[in-house]
Amino acid sequence: MSLKELSSLEKALGLKKPNKYSTQGDRKVPVLQTINGQALVGLVTIATHLVQEAKRPELLGGSAEHKAVVQQWLEYRVTKVDGCHKEDIKTILKDLNSYLEDKVYLAGNQFTLADTLMYYGIHHVIVDLAVQEKEKYMNMTRWFDHVQHYPSVRHHLPPVVVLRNRVYTSGHH
Amino acid sequence: MCVWAEGGRRYMVFEVFLKGTLFFPCEPDRGLVRVHELTPEKAGQLIWVRARIHTSRAKGKQCFLVLRQQQFNVQALVAVGERASKQMVKFAANINKESIVDVEAVVKKVEQTIESCSQQDVELHIERVGLSSALSDHTTDKQTDRHAHGGRTDGRATVNQDTRLDNRVIDLRTTTSQAIFRLQSGVCQLFRDTLTNKGFVEIQTPKIISAASEGGANVFTVSYFKTSAYLAQSPQLYKQMCICADFDKVFCVGPVFRAEDSNTHRHLTEFVGLDIELAFNYHYHEVIESITDTMVQIFKGLRDKFQTEIQTVGKQYPSEPFKFLEPTLRLEYSEGVAMLREAGVEMGDEEDLSTPNEKLLGRLVKEKYDTDFYVLDKYPLAVRPFYTMPDPNDKKYSNSYDMFMRGEEILSGAQRIHDAQLLTERAMHHNIDLEKIKSYIDSFRYGAPPHGGGGIGLERVCMLYLGLHNVRQTSMFPRDPKRLTP
Repeated sequence: MSLKELSSLEKALGLKKPNKYSTQGDRKVPVLQTINGQALVGLVTIATHLVQEAKRPELLGGSAEHKAVVQQWLEYRVTKVDGCHKEDIKTILKDLNSYLEDKVYLAGNQFTLADTLMYYGIHHVIVDLAVQEKEKYMNMTRWFDHVQHYPSVRHHLPPVVVLRNRVYTSGHH
Repeated sequence: MCVWAEGGRRYMVFEVFLKGTLFFPCEPDRGLVRVHELTPEKAGQLIWVRARIHTSRAKGKQCFLVLRQQQFNVQALVAVGERASKQMVKFAANINKESIVDVEAVVKKVEQTIESCSQQDVELHIERVGLSSALSDHTTDKQTDRHAHGGRTDGRATVNQDTRLDNRVIDLRTTTSQAIFRLQSGVCQLFRDTLTNKGFVEIQTPKIISAASEGGANVFTVSYFKTSAYLAQSPQLYKQMCICADFDKVFCVGPVFRAEDSNTHRHLTEFVGLDIELAFNYHYHEVIESITDTMVQIFKGLRDKFQTEIQTVGKQYPSEPFKFLEPTLRLEYSEGVAMLREAGVEMGDEEDLSTPNEKLLGRLVKEKYDTDFYVLDKYPLAVRPFYTMPDPNDKKYSNSYDMFMRGEEILSGAQRIHDAQLLTERAMHHNIDLEKIKSYIDSFRYGAPPHGGGGIGLERVCMLYLGLHNVRQTSMFPRDPKRLTP
């Protein structure tokens, strides 16, 4: 799963030469052997390295504060989202929904690595949501639709249909 | 026994065991005024009312009563004064709720609207009160209290559905139940009137039949002398036989029995079916138009003549008013599938609609066309019964249709095969034992006109029209896999 993400990320960043990854441990944490012998372990570590390689530092944030927010959401992705239980999914969606009420992107006013990795991370949940649930988490769905239409982000994942009009009005049913 | 309280004295009455006579002034030709007629126009008049005691509240020298009659209620007051004694006020306060009382009172106009009653501008000042039907000793006040007043979400006690259904007689007294079943009576009335005006003939079909009509799975078996018989799952066979008998346009209203072990909000084992069948001239769309026009006339009739009932139900179960288009919206099945796919649902061209997909499609149609009622035409042949006429232009589809209200199916209908040869072929294709349906196929051997029709469930239509959520609310004494009484 993480390996597919990383190869999509490479394409998204425009890196010409695909790297070879291996995994370690039960949880299949990705590992990258760099040229100078170092082994980079972990999705976020490798992703950050790729961003540096592609010379796109803005994807990690501009100011120190901005960088911190990006790191916070990357950490959220790896700790909370990956391998979480079914019951926690609702909480995560609710959290994201309330956070995104007044924001276009997860961190600051621009597209960052946080948006990409969070998109990859929750896609498998969103693709199964019913229309009514997507409307319930309106802000999160809006952000998701925005990210999935971003050029070159959505490589290995099928698009999720998001309706433009509200089908479930405030009444019951 | 009847007890009277009048003026300053209390009469003790001895029941005389002569049939029907009671030993005190009781004038049989005394006029009784209906509660819904108590309006400010009658202010100052001294009138008699017979109603049930809905609530009673005593406070010192006064007793406030709310008298209820079907969907209507009015406030009444007994106060110590020149017309009433302290004992009379005490007597009134002690009458059990739900007792039927005869009251002689003066109608008084009130300045402040009484929000909690249907008659909001008047109240009754009681001069005489008599108990004409008391509760028998073993019923508790609490029991009647819960049922007649229960189920509201405005902070009052709620009663769950099973309890209500077990004590249906008391539950049916509530203003909401009264309104629901009056509306249901209206639906039957409008159905009959509309069709009769269109030249239809009402027929009565047998319910004890020898062969299961819709397939053997969901049918009740009854013992029939030395053999067994079945309870009819639909009047399908007989409607068609009437068309073959040249009745041209028929309808019937009668019970339908489905032994389906489904415990859902919309299934009953016995319900009232309103069925239509008609021969058409050139195209089966004439049938669809006839049915949809009938439905529209019913909706209009309910909207115009039953507003009071709709509002009463809406107070306890709020919902959006039912919307429909004229002429009725008709979409093709493939269009419906396309709309669902656009919303992200994956399904095959010839796949049947699942219930969640039906509901979603209903939502999408509502959002796009602003209607709660529509027809889905040209269903895939593979998912329809054997007697459905295939589409002559595309063998994947059929001349069949479903109609939906608020996203739930209310009618499944089609053009029927009227040629014995084709019918036999289709039956064999469905692996149906031809012996069992021999008489059905034979009825088409003597020349049958092309025809089609469909049937609706009365309870489901009422439930969906009012925006209720359980078909048991619109069935007076519902039957389901777990309920056989009352």
